[in-house]
Amino acid sequence: MMANVGVEPRTQAAPSAGTSAGETPVPVVAEKPVRCAVRGVTKAFGTTPILRGVDLEIREGSFAVLVGSSGCGKSTLLRLVAGLEEADTGSLWLAGKDVTRLPPRDRDIAMVFQSYALYPHLTVKDNLAFGLKLRGTPAAEVASRIREASAMLGLDALLERLPKQLSGGQRQRVAMGRAIVRRPSIFLFDEPLSNLDAALRAEVRVEIRRLHDRLGATTLYVTHDQVEAMTLADTLWVMNKGLVEQKGAPLEVYERPCTRFVATFLGSPQMNMESGVLVTKDGATYAEGGGLSVKVDEDRFGSALTRGRKVEIGVRPHDFVPARSGAAACSLKVEIVEALGFEAFAHGWLRASGPRIIARLDAEEARRVKTGDTLPLAVDPTKVHLFDPETGRALDAE
Amino acid sequence: MARLSFAVIAALVLLLGAARARAETVVVWHAYRGDEEAALQAVSRTYEREHPGVTIDLLAIPHDAYSAKLGAAVPRGHGPHLFVDPHERLGFYLREKIVAPIGDGLDDATRRALDPAALAAVTLDGVAYGVPIAGKALLLFVNDALLPKAPPTMEELAALVVPGGYPLAYEATSAFFHAPFMHAFGARMLDDADHFAFFGDDAARSLDFVRDLSRAGAVPEEASGALVKQLFVTGKVAAVISGPWLAAELREEAKGLRYHTEPLPIVRATGNPMRSYVTIEAAIATPIATPAARAFARWLASHDAAVVRARRGRQAVTTSSAWEDPQIEADAELQSFREAARTGVVTPVTPAMRAAWVPANQAILKALREDMTAKDALLQAKHRWEDTMRPPPPPASPAPGLALGGLVLLGLAALALRRARAAGFAAELRASMPAYRYVTHAAITVGLLVVFPLAAGALTSLFAGTRDAPVYVGLANYLGILTARGGDLLGHGSFYLTLLVTVVWTVVNVSLHVGIGVAVGSLLSRSWMKIRAVYRILLILPWAVPSYVTALAWKGMFHRQFGAINAILTWLGAEPVSWFSHFSTAFAANVATNVWLGFPFMMVVTMGALTSISKDVLEAAEVDGATRWQRFRLVTLPLLKPALLPAVVLGAVWTFNMFNVVFLVSGGEPDGATDILVSEAYRWAFTKDAQYGYAAAYAVLIFGLLAVSSRVMSRRLGDPEAA
Repeated sequence: MMANVGVEPRTQAAPSAGTSAGETPVPVVAEKPVRCAVRGVTKAFGTTPILRGVDLEIREGSFAVLVGSSGCGKSTLLRLVAGLEEADTGSLWLAGKDVTRLPPRDRDIAMVFQSYALYPHLTVKDNLAFGLKLRGTPAAEVASRIREASAMLGLDALLERLPKQLSGGQRQRVAMGRAIVRRPSIFLFDEPLSNLDAALRAEVRVEIRRLHDRLGATTLYVTHDQVEAMTLADTLWVMNKGLVEQKGAPLEVYERPCTRFVATFLGSPQMNMESGVLVTKDGATYAEGGGLSVKVDEDRFGSALTRGRKVEIGVRPHDFVPARSGAAACSLKVEIVEALGFEAFAHGWLRASGPRIIARLDAEEARRVKTGDTLPLAVDPTKVHLFDPETGRALDAE
Repeated sequence: MARLSFAVIAALVLLLGAARARAETVVVWHAYRGDEEAALQAVSRTYEREHPGVTIDLLAIPHDAYSAKLGAAVPRGHGPHLFVDPHERLGFYLREKIVAPIGDGLDDATRRALDPAALAAVTLDGVAYGVPIAGKALLLFVNDALLPKAPPTMEELAALVVPGGYPLAYEATSAFFHAPFMHAFGARMLDDADHFAFFGDDAARSLDFVRDLSRAGAVPEEASGALVKQLFVTGKVAAVISGPWLAAELREEAKGLRYHTEPLPIVRATGNPMRSYVTIEAAIATPIATPAARAFARWLASHDAAVVRARRGRQAVTTSSAWEDPQIEADAELQSFREAARTGVVTPVTPAMRAAWVPANQAILKALREDMTAKDALLQAKHRWEDTMRPPPPPASPAPGLALGGLVLLGLAALALRRARAAGFAAELRASMPAYRYVTHAAITVGLLVVFPLAAGALTSLFAGTRDAPVYVGLANYLGILTARGGDLLGHGSFYLTLLVTVVWTVVNVSLHVGIGVAVGSLLSRSWMKIRAVYRILLILPWAVPSYVTALAWKGMFHRQFGAINAILTWLGAEPVSWFSHFSTAFAANVATNVWLGFPFMMVVTMGALTSISKDVLEAAEVDGATRWQRFRLVTLPLLKPALLPAVVLGAVWTFNMFNVVFLVSGGEPDGATDILVSEAYRWAFTKDAQYGYAAAYAVLIFGLLAVSSRVMSRRLGDPEAA
């Protein structure tokens, strides 16, 4: 079933819908306990379904990133966890407690918004103190937590300023500080870097990961940016059309995408796709089509490899290598070369009217290649991905 | 040849000139409507036919604006040659130099033809200023269906039983309508020395008498003219006391109603007749009246014109011979009008009389509401009359003022000189020239429309006396106001008491405006509210309706006997409230009206400001643990503040000066207690003997108070950055 692709079987995870709130979901294996669990949640706005039965769990201290294209429902899912939206069906568990119908203030969460959502009328210090004061935290405790967070984020010089007197990056740090002082059971980030410029984004990205490691906090982070997703996540949850399509460690997901969507969503430039069939040559299985003929990894795909089967062949641009003559998997007719300095991308096609193909070249090669050249390319069989053209699923994940 | 043609041309020019000179226009202003206007037009056309070359230019002016328009036009030479007006205002007009002696408009023949009492009414210190044309006095209108013939005494009339209604209705709280009772009890408004005389035992007995009528349910309480008419037309009252104007209105509005008129009955307790005050309408000459105008005035009083005016205009004309006309002689209604005018007391025209109405009205109201005994109320009225009529402050030497002004001017000149001598001034000035050019027209406009009237008003506050004979009194007006004219500093009508009321009024109103406005505005901004647009329009409506319309509607709703609010209270089983007889309820009525008028503004400001508050910020607060109320108090409200603050300052200034509501709803009742500073200033200028200087001093004080307090308010409530 598509809905549960990549999600571990339920038996291993937290409570079923009937479990009472008092029971802690105890995992069978000796892992850290589940801090946040989403069970079969659906949500529709009017007649438009946004979430179509999502399951998700985050273990204590882990950094989970929800990634997907816009409109896939990842922000809605985050807001459901925060309590800013209410699920139509399904349940939400935080620290073993059913919070499905609880208001945000009873969930012990902190959230960093894309717009930072600082209180414009309060100074940085008061922004930090706001949530603590509402909870009746003693003044001395408030002061010490602000001191701590402020030192951690370098806000000392800004404490008396109003948000409008801060730069974007500074506001971002205050927003994080506001979450940190709360010491919540889980941190929620809603695309927190998208309002920053590229250089600052890279800097803050690292800072967020460092803070997470330092605080050992459980984090749910929503982004559409695959670089953030890849670099920050302990566990990556790729969402598509209201469903979780795949979960796993970032590299695992990158190397073994279980659907065509995941394969093309992660990685830049996108994975190249060609339609083809499976053939047997010299006792080995090849995928051929659209001017491409690549040997496939029989260990990986096993019994899914039946002769004559129609497949989608996926090769990442970085997995093409220049071929010695005769051993080429394909020949790329180069239309344009994008030189980035340390590497380059050759754009072109394998045959007329075929899909556009991109191959990575190293800087040295790029210097030799010109528009109109024909470039022989080879591919390591372990880097060839095969998908069913009908279902879009990887042949090894069927 | 050339010489001849020149002579011909010269002769033609002369002839044409002469012809043009003969075609003279007489401009006449009047406030007549209906039949009276038609009659005046008819006699004018006749006059024009009989006097070729004279054009009578009639101009009907609404009654309310009449006196103000005369006061504005005539002194500048733009007004009419003649105007028709009741004689009561003659004294005032004379002081304002709006009228001139009628001279040959009243020749001996005309004088002989006129009613002597009417002649006396238009004569001041032996000089006649107009030609009397008609007299008007109160009489009894009797509904034929309920009462074929009125009984001879007031006591018998009041004892009649009218199921679901009243035997008698009249504007009981008006001194003018009370006058017949006053006269029947042997009291009078002014004594021979022209001093207030409506006090003492006789006057008090007249008030006790009508209070008893009211207690016995014989007359409706505090009826307005409109209510009296309505009760009469709907057959809810057997008889009403009113004047010929009611007959004119009934002819237009209640054609089917069968009624007749009778003289006012006698009061059995004293055996005296009820004599009304009589108003003599006259064609009054202005200083620009021409001989032709005076001739027309004379003709208005002629037999022929009087007959037309009586027959067609239904006027009780003052020309005796007209009453011998057979048709008029046979007209019972006209005869009763004449009888009422003949037996009445011609209203005195002195400033003392003008100043007597307001205190007398207040005393009558208090006695009828039984807030005070009649005797005390009247004594208080006497004191108030004396307060109004107190002599103006002595003229002050303008020397100190002029010296101060001179010094200030000198100082300014010195400063300007120093500035002009400074290095680079000329170059700077040249560089700024284009900028000055851009703002010139705005500066001139603002100067003419704002600065000049303000300065003129401020200057007026240094004077006493009339417009044409102002007397410089220095700061005496201010001194009078600030020392409560020597009376109790927190006594009735003192500046400080009124200021206190005004401040309470402003604070209560603005708090409610902001409270309700913000609450409703926030509610309307909620996405779950269905048909928000409809609510929004409905709630803005009170704001869109002209405020005086709303104020009058609310005043009607608060009426003791006929108002909707008491009707609801009664329906709920509560006692009806006499809203305007106590300070707290009258004040509450004013506040209710003004809140109704004022909250939509704050609501609109709130809704506008709410759209600028980011949803994320509220959600952040929600995640931070704030309840709905905490989110509103700690986030929404502080974020609304920058937008609300100017609105609050503005609202405070408007409310501080909310003349319409106070004047129209409570009218200062009870007894001026709910008056605020502006309505108090208005009373000094327009109902208390035209003390413009004194009123202007009030206005300057109000201006100063507002200027200072709005600055302080902006500072105190301003955002932390500005502070």
